[in-house]
Amino acid sequence: MQQDFILQKWAVWPPLQADAEQDLARQGELLASVPKMLKRRLSSLAKIVFCAANQCIDEHTIIPTVFSSAHGELAKSFALMEMLEAGEEISPTAFSLSVHNAIAGLFSMAWQNKLQCTVVAPGEEGLAAAFIEALGLLREGAEQVLLVFYDEPMVDFYPFAPFKLSADESRALALRIAKSGEGQAVKMSSLPLTGNDGEQPVQLPAFIRFLEEPQARLTLKTPRHSWRWEKMLNQHSSRGKLHG
Amino acid sequence: MTVYWIFLAHKENTMSSLEDDLKQLIIDSLDLEDISVEDIDSQEALFNEGLGLDSIDALELGLAIRKKYNVRIDAEKDDVVKIFASVAALAEFIESERH
Repeated sequence: MQQDFILQKWAVWPPLQADAEQDLARQGELLASVPKMLKRRLSSLAKIVFCAANQCIDEHTIIPTVFSSAHGELAKSFALMEMLEAGEEISPTAFSLSVHNAIAGLFSMAWQNKLQCTVVAPGEEGLAAAFIEALGLLREGAEQVLLVFYDEPMVDFYPFAPFKLSADESRALALRIAKSGEGQAVKMSSLPLTGNDGEQPVQLPAFIRFLEEPQARLTLKTPRHSWRWEKMLNQHSSRGKLHG
Repeated sequence: MTVYWIFLAHKENTMSSLEDDLKQLIIDSLDLEDISVEDIDSQEALFNEGLGLDSIDALELGLAIRKKYNVRIDAEKDDVVKIFASVAALAEFIESERH
């Protein structure tokens, strides 16, 4: 498989170089447009998703969206399971916000975004699965697609240690991609090379570095094959550092 | 006549303290951090207009009321729209179920 697309804009939240006070103030600004009655339902994970996405689209943008998370709101599900084990009744609100498409649902309400929305739990394919979904939407005629990757560290209860499926920090990355137009042209392809560069939470920092730094290509290996992203020379921007 | 008047006053007092308790329960169980008991009018609509609660809030509030007052609101049997119309309506329902 090989497919080209244009990366129009991207943003990560929280920034890789943390500045607690400044980041908190900026987070407040980025969430300011969210209606109060919705804001009370945002978990810390939902907040970073909103902050990353908000930097890639404005309030009035209506856009098809693809969300991707290895674990979603697993911490919420785990807390509910502990309550069930203790014989307590579980909160309907907590249950509704624990499902894998909960954050995407809140996002569509906050942005009044009524276009197609897909939420992927990609397993060992990692970042590639959501890209394939988004590229499919572009192929079907969407002018642009918003892609949002997010995960938080897994709850300690889970024996994740020997597996590469949990990151140390919560992070969200949003990208707005298009079929053509201005931006950085990127080629995505698959290779027969196998290996294990981990699942999405582990792949994400490598992908963010690829966006931030002048490196021309990134290859992520999975047990079945590899995925490669390459920055292409195009008329609008030269290969190199991309600005988020 | 005097005795009847005292009874009414007593009933009004318990209703208004029940209403305040309900307002606090609504604030706590529905994460309405910016709202205080004084901000909620007992006659004001709880859903859509007024306070602006939604269907998930109704389920959450139903659970909170069951836990605190041991009063069950049954969507099959009870007139849910009427019960959840306002804090006053909710207080009246709970009062009637407890007796």
